[in-house]
Amino acid sequence: MKKLAIGKIYLIFVFILLYLPIFYLIVYSFNSGQSMNGWAGFTFNHYHELFSDARMIEIVLNTLIVAVLSSLISTIIGTIGAYWIYQTKNKKIANRILSLNSVLLVSPDVIIGASFLILFTVVGMQLGFLSVLLSHVAFSIPIVVLMVLPKLKEMPKTIIEASDDLGATGYQTLSNIILPYIQPGILAGFFMALTYSLDDFAVTFFVTGNGFSTMAVEIYSRARRGTSLEINALSAIMFLVSLFLVLIYYFISNPKKGGKK
Amino acid sequence: MADIKPIIEFKNVSLDYQDNRVLHNIDLEIEQGKFYTLLGPSGSGKSTILSLISGKNSPSEGDVLIDGKIVNELPANKREVNTVFQNYNLFPNMNVYENVAYGPKLKKLPAKKIDQLVKDMLSLVRLSDFEQNEITELSGGQQQRVAIARALANEPKVLLLDEPLSALDYKLRKEMQYELREIQQRLGITFIFVTHDQEEALAMSDWIFVMQNGRIEQSGTPVDIYDEPINHFVADFIGEANIIEGIMKEDYLVSFVGKEFKNVDAGMKPNERVEIVIRPEDLDIVAPSKGKLQVTIDDQSFRGDFYEITAIDDAGNEWSIQETNPAKIGQRRGLKFDPEDIHIMRFNETEEDFDSRLESYEGEE
Repeated sequence: MKKLAIGKIYLIFVFILLYLPIFYLIVYSFNSGQSMNGWAGFTFNHYHELFSDARMIEIVLNTLIVAVLSSLISTIIGTIGAYWIYQTKNKKIANRILSLNSVLLVSPDVIIGASFLILFTVVGMQLGFLSVLLSHVAFSIPIVVLMVLPKLKEMPKTIIEASDDLGATGYQTLSNIILPYIQPGILAGFFMALTYSLDDFAVTFFVTGNGFSTMAVEIYSRARRGTSLEINALSAIMFLVSLFLVLIYYFISNPKKGGKK
Repeated sequence: MADIKPIIEFKNVSLDYQDNRVLHNIDLEIEQGKFYTLLGPSGSGKSTILSLISGKNSPSEGDVLIDGKIVNELPANKREVNTVFQNYNLFPNMNVYENVAYGPKLKKLPAKKIDQLVKDMLSLVRLSDFEQNEITELSGGQQQRVAIARALANEPKVLLLDEPLSALDYKLRKEMQYELREIQQRLGITFIFVTHDQEEALAMSDWIFVMQNGRIEQSGTPVDIYDEPINHFVADFIGEANIIEGIMKEDYLVSFVGKEFKNVDAGMKPNERVEIVIRPEDLDIVAPSKGKLQVTIDDQSFRGDFYEITAIDDAGNEWSIQETNPAKIGQRRGLKFDPEDIHIMRFNETEEDFDSRLESYEGEE
C-alpha cells in the first residue's frame, strides 16, 4: 500500500510539473495587468482584444483551414499508401518504403522545412497558403501510414478470405470489411495529423510568406516583439481546443460507452 | 452410381506449392446431397482439396469441375460453394444478423428475402435470440453456429467445412457433430467436411476419403473403411488396430504367429506375404486352452467404458484388446476371434485392385 502511495505522489508531481507552465499561462490570460509580472486583478480584456484583432482571427482561420485540409488529404493518401504497403507481395520494396516513411518521421522539422523551402524556390512556387498546405500534407502522410498500417497488419487475413468466399468482389471486401476494420487507425491518423498541423512551427516558418501566417508562427513573432497577454488568451483557447480533440479521440477509440444500435 | 451426375469432380488433379507437390493425381467425385469427409493427419492435403473447390487455389495439373464445368481458374467469389472456417472468421465489425446477411446482401436479393433467409438460418442453428448480439459476446460454439448460418445463407450447392469443430471442447464437439449431420440431412445439400479426427469422420459421414501425403489412400463408407482398410496406414489411422505380418497360404487360409487360421479373404497369390488386421474389440480373452492364440497379459488401463489390455504372444507380438472385464497382469490367457474378424491387407495394393479383388470373391458368396 505504501509503495502505491509513493508512486501516486510521484505521478502527481510529474503531472504538476508538466502542466504548471500551461496553467500559469492560462491564469495570466485573465490578468488585468499588462505583463506576467504580478497579478493585478481578474479581467476578460485580453479575450476581448483577441476577438477584435481581425488579423489574429484571420490567422486562426488560416491555421484551421490548413490543418483540416492537410489532414484530410494526408489521411486519404496515407491510408492508400498503408494499404499498398500491406498488400504488396514484394516485402523488400515494402520494407524500404516503410523505412523511408520512418526517416521522414524522425528527421528534424528544420531540415524538412529547409528542404521544402529550397524545393519551392527551385520550382518557382510562390510561398503562401499553397506551400504551407503542401508541406503539411507531406509531413502528415508518414504519421497516417504509421497509424493505419498496424491496424491492417492486425486484421486477420482470413476474414478477407471469408468475404471472398461469400461472393464479395475486391472492392466490396475493401469497403465492407477492410475499411470498417481499420477505421480506428484512420481516425487516429487523421487526428494526429490535425494536431501536428495545428501546432507545427518549424516547417511552416520556412515555407510561409506573402503575408500568410499560422498561429504558431504569429505567436512566435509577437512573443519576440514583447509579451502581450493576448497571446496568453490565444494559448488558453488553443489548449482547450486540443483538450477537446483528445477527448473526441478518446471516445472514438473507446466506443464501448455508447450502445451501438 | 454412374447415372447420377457428380456435382464436383477432380480429374487427375495435382497441385504444387513452390517446388513441393502437395497433391498427387487426385481423382474424386462428389454427389449431390451427401456428407463427405476428407480425413487425414495434418499436412495430408485435405484442406488443400477444399481450397481447390472453394477457388482459393488453382490446380497445377488436371481439372476441377463443378456441375460438369471446368472451374480451374474461376475466382472464389463466383463459385456456388461456401466455407465454414476453422477459426470462424466472422466479421468483427458486424453483429450476428449482419454477418449472416452479408452474402445475400452482396447478391442484391430483395430485403424481404434477405430477412427471411437470415431468420431461417439463425433458427436452423438455434440462435434466433442472438440476432442483435455482437460477435465478441458469443461463446466459441455460438460463433461456430453463426459461421455455419452465414455460409448456408448464401444457399450454396456445396458447403465446405474446414475442421470447424477442432476448437471446441469434447462435449460441445459431440453435440455439434450431431447437429451438423442433422442440418445436412434437413437441407439436403452436399457437405464436405475436413477433419483429422477419425471418430468424427466415422460418426458423421456417408463417405470418407482417407488421405496421406497428398494422396487419397482409400475412399468408402465408414463401415467399409473401418472393416476393410486397404493398407497399414489406413488401418492404423482409423481406430485402434493390431497389425502383424503373415502369409496367405491359399484362399481363406492365413498363417501368422506360426499357426494357420481360417479367414474370409481371397484373391491373393499362394504364399503371398501380407499384413493381418484384427481390431481390439474383436478379440476376446478366454481360458488358454480355448483360445486360438496363447498370450501373457502385459498391461492394462481403465478407459471408462472398457479396459485397454495389452498382451504378448509367444512370437513376441503385442496385442491390444478391449474388454469390459479386467485381466490379471502376468497371467497366461487365450485369445479368441472369428474368421470374419481377420482382415488381410496386401502390400502396395492400389484402391482399384483392392476393390476388384473384393468384388471377385464376394460375388461368389
